[in-house]
Amino acid sequence: MKKKLLILGVVLVLLVSMLAGCAGNQGAKTPSASTGSNTGSSGDKFQSRTIKFLSIWPEDDKNSNGWIVSELSRQYGETVDGFKLEYEYVAIDQLDQKVKILMSSDDLPEVCTYESGVRLKQVIDAGLILNVEETFTELGIRDCLDEGAVSLLKRLVDGKGLYCVPLGLNMEGFWYNKALFEKAGIQKAPETWDEFLEVCEKLKAAGITPIVQGGSDNWPMTRVLNAYLVRSVGPNAVQDAVTGKKKFTDPEYVAAAQMFQDMAKKGYFAEGMNTIDPGTATSMLMNGQAAMNYDGSWKVSNLNSDDNTAGPEGIGFFNVPVVNDSSTILDYSMNCGNILMFSKKKYDDKVADWMKYVFPKLGDFAMQETGAFKGFSISKMPEDTTYYTQLVAEHLAKAQGAFLWFEAKMDSETSTIAQQSISLLYTGEITAEDYMRLLEETAAKSR
Amino acid sequence: MSVAGTFLKFIQGGSFLERVLGDKKAIALMVLPALIIFVGVIFVPIVWTFIYSLFSGMPGFKFEYVGFSNYINMWSNKQTVAAIKMNWKYILFVTPGQVGFGLLVSLMMYFSIKKFKTLSRTIVFIPTILPTVAVAQMFAKMYEMVPNYGLINALLDLAGLDRYIQPFLGQPNTSFGALVVMDIWTAIGFYTVIIYGALVDIPHELLEAARIDGASGVKLFTKIVFPMIRTIMITCLVFSFTGTIKLYESATALTKGGPGFATTSMTMNMYQNAFLFDQYGYASAVAILILAQCLLVTFIINKLSREKY
Repeated sequence: MKKKLLILGVVLVLLVSMLAGCAGNQGAKTPSASTGSNTGSSGDKFQSRTIKFLSIWPEDDKNSNGWIVSELSRQYGETVDGFKLEYEYVAIDQLDQKVKILMSSDDLPEVCTYESGVRLKQVIDAGLILNVEETFTELGIRDCLDEGAVSLLKRLVDGKGLYCVPLGLNMEGFWYNKALFEKAGIQKAPETWDEFLEVCEKLKAAGITPIVQGGSDNWPMTRVLNAYLVRSVGPNAVQDAVTGKKKFTDPEYVAAAQMFQDMAKKGYFAEGMNTIDPGTATSMLMNGQAAMNYDGSWKVSNLNSDDNTAGPEGIGFFNVPVVNDSSTILDYSMNCGNILMFSKKKYDDKVADWMKYVFPKLGDFAMQETGAFKGFSISKMPEDTTYYTQLVAEHLAKAQGAFLWFEAKMDSETSTIAQQSISLLYTGEITAEDYMRLLEETAAKSR
Repeated sequence: MSVAGTFLKFIQGGSFLERVLGDKKAIALMVLPALIIFVGVIFVPIVWTFIYSLFSGMPGFKFEYVGFSNYINMWSNKQTVAAIKMNWKYILFVTPGQVGFGLLVSLMMYFSIKKFKTLSRTIVFIPTILPTVAVAQMFAKMYEMVPNYGLINALLDLAGLDRYIQPFLGQPNTSFGALVVMDIWTAIGFYTVIIYGALVDIPHELLEAARIDGASGVKLFTKIVFPMIRTIMITCLVFSFTGTIKLYESATALTKGGPGFATTSMTMNMYQNAFLFDQYGYASAVAILILAQCLLVTFIINKLSREKY
């Protein structure tokens, strides 16, 4: 009997202490919550505001987009009291999953990195993010965005409007090693596809590998297929096929895949190209192990570095050669890199104030610090720009129209199939018809 | 006397332990925490996954009940079927390879190597403790062809066998072989150590007696050694099978499942469906399929192990 009483006593003491613990927690939480989240409303009292930024770039990675935003925010923090940017890093391959989870609990952070296109469209449709066009116009900072970037971003979400800000304005095309071109007796960069094939033939005859792509990542290979597809069918080729207006199995689409395979069979691509990663491909171009490489203007940071053995002007650039009159040489493949979107729920005048400081400065700041275009207007170019930065600027200025990369309009399944199977098209494991049939079957599922 | 000693004496005292273990309620109370954790960690997720597998889409977005159609559609999904085929082909090569080579090396160690036994065991075991990603990087370098020849292509070049120089990871058939070789190499040490442990346990008198009776070589192995280590061999097979059916990280690190879908396993297919294609329901169905295969094969191996030799 005594023992039972003792046990009962011990249990009671435990229970009471547990309850006390819970109560203590609650007691501690309440006041801090009231000070922390009480924002937006007017009041004389000092109010702190933390803006959360979900980023795919490590914060200390200087010159990255994440660093640019966080550095500008730090400068903003010096002008106002109680401002703090909470920087959250998530690996790029987990971004999509993370955003989906945050979306389903309606808890997107104030500022969030994401990708434009099909994925952003889902967030827009869910009504969770700010209309940047309206917000920026209201704040009077709409003109800080580059018009080319804005029209591209709108196109990526099928004209739903501007719901994000760009963090890059890249154009893509062929980078070539000038010394190797000279060695093979090539006078000028090709403008038509026939000239392009001639150039490849000449290079091959001179014992030079004509083209290298970082094929282990697959997308550098679909880019080449897309180059021919866009020039032969038109800038909307993939979109038309995805929506069902045309089919991937239509002869002109198969012809593009055939062109890619023919080029592989003729030995215009580096041998074993599907095992080379993009970084190695860039090195091969700079070292003179291959003459051409299709890539974006983000390559400029490599070209500007000391690793560029081709020298400060040794690499040139030409746009995708034209096949017929479905698009002109002044149409460029463009993209805006990763983008920033803003939670509608968490937007208030503090966030607005932060936006008014950061975004008008972003274009010039990024150009000054990194020499890269971010899709923001630039008031003045720095004086010491390199040849490569100028080269990109010249081409961007020339651009009259834009087309998108191969997977831009595809859902994730079609895009994965397109990328994984291109390797088989390259090795000759499957035919051009097989490849396009795979895409057609997958795309048809979500039509 | 230390505190632990006092405690030991107390519980070994007999009366306390007897009283507690005599009470069924007390036993139930002690088993309960472990049982709750086991059920919570193993069974709840399985049941949960099964329920998910009856839906299409992703929880939170367009999550619709579709009955068993995920299980039916699976067989017309080219990528999933290719992954199942590839995975079984991989198991057929890798499981016998891992256990077989493990057996060979351990026999060699037991019967032939007289000196440096510990050293040789340590060396053989090293690949097992290396991180998969590091091993994959090392092998990728060995298989490399561009921009520079890796070890294998360099050796072929040296031997004048230029026509065999190839991008091993860039072709479907060779990349599969490359993966198989790597995964066998990694695991040999593990099975060697386990089987060697079983060999050491065989009573010396038994081997001696067999030798006196005239058994040697193959006969000694099939009649005496193998029956003695049979249970360990079966354990090794189960280990190896469960390891190979969930092939993921080595293939991801070495080939990313490519070229094409040549080295995409069932778990990789499941991952793609869940996290790239936003098809949680379908991916759950693939997960259940993997579980079913695991259970079936383990059941078969167990059945075989109970049969009289």
